[in-house]
Amino acid sequence: MNNPRFARTAGWLLLACLVAAGVLAWYVTRQPATPFAQESTASADPALVSRGEYVARLSDCVACHSLAGKAPFSGGLEMATPLGNIHATNITPDRDAGIGTYSLADFDRAVRHGVAPGGKRLYPAMPYPSYAKLSDDDIRALYAFFMHGVQPDKQANIPSDIPWPLNLRWPIALWNGVFAPTAPYAAKPNQDAVWNRGAYIVQGPGHCGSCHTPRGLAFNEKALDESGAPYLAGGLLDGWYAPSLRQDHNTGLGRWSEAHIVQFLKTGRNQHAVVYGSMTEAFNNSTQFMTDDDLAAIARYLKSLPGDPQRDGPPWQYVAADTRQDIPGAHTYATRCAACHGSDGKGQPEWMPPLAGATSALAKENASAINITLNGSQRIVAAGVPDAYRMPAFREQLSDTQIAEVLTYVRSTWGNHADAVDAKAVGKLRGHTDPASASPIILQMR
Amino acid sequence: MELRINQKTYQVDADADTPLLWVIRDDLGLTGTKYGCGLAQCGACSVLVDGNVVRSCVTPVAGVVGREVTTIEAIEDDEVGKRVVATWVEYQVAQCGYCQSGQVVAATALLKHTPAPSDAQIEAAMINLCRCGTYNAIHSAMQALAKPESA
Ligand code: FES
Repeated sequence: MNNPRFARTAGWLLLACLVAAGVLAWYVTRQPATPFAQESTASADPALVSRGEYVARLSDCVACHSLAGKAPFSGGLEMATPLGNIHATNITPDRDAGIGTYSLADFDRAVRHGVAPGGKRLYPAMPYPSYAKLSDDDIRALYAFFMHGVQPDKQANIPSDIPWPLNLRWPIALWNGVFAPTAPYAAKPNQDAVWNRGAYIVQGPGHCGSCHTPRGLAFNEKALDESGAPYLAGGLLDGWYAPSLRQDHNTGLGRWSEAHIVQFLKTGRNQHAVVYGSMTEAFNNSTQFMTDDDLAAIARYLKSLPGDPQRDGPPWQYVAADTRQDIPGAHTYATRCAACHGSDGKGQPEWMPPLAGATSALAKENASAINITLNGSQRIVAAGVPDAYRMPAFREQLSDTQIAEVLTYVRSTWGNHADAVDAKAVGKLRGHTDPASASPIILQMR
Repeated sequence: MELRINQKTYQVDADADTPLLWVIRDDLGLTGTKYGCGLAQCGACSVLVDGNVVRSCVTPVAGVVGREVTTIEAIEDDEVGKRVVATWVEYQVAQCGYCQSGQVVAATALLKHTPAPSDAQIEAAMINLCRCGTYNAIHSAMQALAKPESA
């Protein structure tokens, strides 16, 4: 078998493998390009620092990189990945525990490309596929804020509990190659400045798609801008259904005006809805701090995304309720829900949201309806004032069957036309949303 | 803002989202309406708005501008309310009495809409909580009120 042809082929193959391995090794540890290689120190210009603070608000960094009762940006929020749990890191300018030794170029690579100094890849729980669209100016301002506007803190990072070899980071570079954009947002010349500003905030710092865009098999957002139909079409995450932000009449923003969107993001409420679920954090920490111009730009951009009548179903219209009380769930509704949401389902806008025509009562996914009934709403703090009214938790008062029945009633009354809710689905979410259970929900990518 | 309560007009200075209960009790001193839970769960704070029972602890005051509010203080100015109170006395319903203003208001609202309610309708409407457990006495009084001859 001493075939010279065989030996030659094997040799070539070996060489090809070596070259491929070399290219791979280079690719997965490569430092992405950054325009900031020449800038070494952070400017302490107060105007730039405060501009950076605003970019941090737009980007809602605090939501994951801070825990209640701990120093701002000292990290700690636990997040689940398909492989195990990780913790958001300390991003204060502490030189040992935080990012105090980062140059602007290091900072840029981490925020926009998900690459830490030394080439280590970040988990995409950090929404760098969205932050990739941040402008150079905003990155420079953000860096100035984190270096000069944030107090250093010694809080040590918590290692992930992902076992070897799954904790190897280099395969993420391949994921990035397929799913993460590398260029900042480029204005669309056929759209005006307001639309482009809105698109920039929504796609970039606002990273709205992290929750509102459905995810693919590799946990990638199925679209990262308006060129993809799934973009902001609604996604299920952490036991909540983040609804469509497109012009869907039932499950999206089809019935909202631009002014309604601005009011919702500024005050947490409007005639259609009140923020709840994961959106409460986004409102409390981020959207209410945006300028009126930026909110108007977001509204303009969102109103330009067409709906999909196929997915959305027949358009909802109010129908007065059948007053028979013998429908299962009707009695529970009358005694537990009607005081706030009205026996006519119209609520008391803008304080108590209507359930007639509500997204949660029209969407196929019922997670939000079940979750808020079991666990109530979190405190909404608008302009420093906590809300006067809050959805109470019914987990101790109503059984799985009672919750399933009352939600089925809500989802089939006043013109609402969504599927019945199954008691098993309630039981499942009851378990997952009980922190003392064996399988509590741990927040996922944001 | 201008409120109509018990046939009187009041000028009130309050935030739009202030619960009606706070305005009634703290600003106007009408303390017959009670605070129980503040979460729409107990019914102690029930008042009538345009003849319908609402829980004033979860009713933003701005929502009742231009509507007629009736509290326990004026319930006997209403024909039905007067009968309810008389029957409540006759049946000695109250024990500690804390929840009873809400109970009377709920009973009045039911009987104004449904003069002769069935047992099932009574059960569906009389859902306010009572820590003394006067439910049986409430039910007896309601049955008496529901009889057509007492109308
Ligand atoms: S105090 Fe209003 S229902 Fe309990």
